Amino acid sequence: MNFSIMFDKDKCKCCTNCIKRCPTQAIRLVDGKAFINNDKCIHCGECIKVCPYNAYTPEPIEWYEEMHFSSYKHKIAISSTPLYGQFPKGTDICKVQNSILKLGFDSVYDASWAAEMVGMAIKRKINEEKIRPFISTNCPAVVRLIKNRYPSLMDHLILIKEPMVIAAMLAREKAKKKLDLKDDEIGVFYLSPCPAKLLAVTDPVGDYKPYVDWVIPLNTIYGELYRELVKGDNGLCSHPSLNGTKWAVSGGQSESAGLTNYIAVNGMENIIQILDEVENGNLTNVDYVETLACVQGCVGGTFNVINPFIAQSNINYILGNTKDESIIEELDEFDEMYESGVFKFSLKPEENQGKFNMKEAIIKREKIKEIYDKLPGLDCGSCGAPTCYAHAEDIYNNESTLYNCVVLRANKITEEGR
Amino acid sequence: MTESFLKRYSFDIVANDFIAAGKGSSTIKNLLKSMGIEANLIRKIAITSYEAEINIVIHSYGGQLHCDLYEDKIVIVSQDTGPGIKDVELALTEGYSTATESVRELGFGAGMGLPNMMKYSDDFEITSSSDGTVIKITILL
Repeated sequence: MNFSIMFDKDKCKCCTNCIKRCPTQAIRLVDGKAFINNDKCIHCGECIKVCPYNAYTPEPIEWYEEMHFSSYKHKIAISSTPLYGQFPKGTDICKVQNSILKLGFDSVYDASWAAEMVGMAIKRKINEEKIRPFISTNCPAVVRLIKNRYPSLMDHLILIKEPMVIAAMLAREKAKKKLDLKDDEIGVFYLSPCPAKLLAVTDPVGDYKPYVDWVIPLNTIYGELYRELVKGDNGLCSHPSLNGTKWAVSGGQSESAGLTNYIAVNGMENIIQILDEVENGNLTNVDYVETLACVQGCVGGTFNVINPFIAQSNINYILGNTKDESIIEELDEFDEMYESGVFKFSLKPEENQGKFNMKEAIIKREKIKEIYDKLPGLDCGSCGAPTCYAHAEDIYNNESTLYNCVVLRANKITEEGR
Repeated sequence: MTESFLKRYSFDIVANDFIAAGKGSSTIKNLLKSMGIEANLIRKIAITSYEAEINIVIHSYGGQLHCDLYEDKIVIVSQDTGPGIKDVELALTEGYSTATESVRELGFGAGMGLPNMMKYSDDFEITSSSDGTVIKITILL
């Protein structure tokens, strides 16, 4: 698996913030440093957000070299829907697009156009199929969370490709036709608010081609973009779809799809609560559950620069004060595209887990429980595991020892002192 | 209990306690998940045990939820201390509910509890008298 989150050992102080906030308990503190279990990591970026010492960073990709020295004849930047919210209120969208071009791109493709079409595809699939509720699949972190913690809900995933993929596909097609280029002569770069998108390109959960060559964490180019913006060239402009731009904010995709019976939930802890409700069979009267890992949705993305609530306000300002002049060339072909299946995808098949044996499972559980009962139940994290139960599991798996527990150690010292 | 019985996990359920409501079934669900039970069985257990627990909270004077593990099946046993179901057959009809208005306002009591338990179980037994109700939901491995 390709990895998108880098960890700086020297900065880590073992403060336990990350292990406690990781929604899949993928992080342990080992020998005084954090360690991520790649098999469990869903790339939601929580650890990057909560680390007070900035020990987690996005993987540095050599986008600058790729941009300037690569053999691509045509370089396309895909702008994400939350992008325009990252600049001061009232910033001219045309200026933002031109600043992107100044970084060395040949064209900009606005993800909001794809988002509008993906919204149409979502509505169509909900109308055609009986599953309730459908769960959104555009947030790769949530799809991985469901795979990891809620496998029983896999058949509720709507399995419609995310706007990034559709945008990249359409942008490629357009460039190929217009400029008579071959696939490998075109480089597609996604300006990403989100670490999960890095993985969605290198190792997608579904069986689809991502069409994106490089994912650039927005914060790594923000300075350059901002400097170009201040210079303030106008130049040509292609208007974003306002309907599609709504995708930047939690609830926006349902709204853009024209849904009326949906739940929009954002933030990992809230999502876990709602997925529990779905698993208990409580939300069968709801059409669509829109789930976004970050607070307030993609405006809260880990690679964004502006506070999520301010960014949301900026997006709302754009939605309220811009004339909708977008022309989505491919819109006429939507029906044909939908029928051909380009919006849909299926998940990669799961590896076979082997036969379940209840007797063995109970023996294992009882052994872990036995260890757990010796632990203090504080869930303090000082041992390096997020909870006492996780610590007991680690001990069972020979990955930790009982005396990593500071409370037990302290008790032992007190006893010996007597 | 038959020979293949291995282990019982039990949870006390308090009547009318909507703060704790759902915790027993959620503990069962997470326990079975951590033990590695297959996803589609987890789904059946989640739905049936949640419905059973909520029924105890809404309709009974309190009771217990048991999760009995066998070599080849899981049985959820819901046991309460009354007042019992007057007409069991009617209660098994979709949409039939005796829940009070105040309970319905909380989003419960839609009359799908027992029908759902029946739908998602491989074997379903219910006995009820004024002393209480016992429901056995069997899910085969």
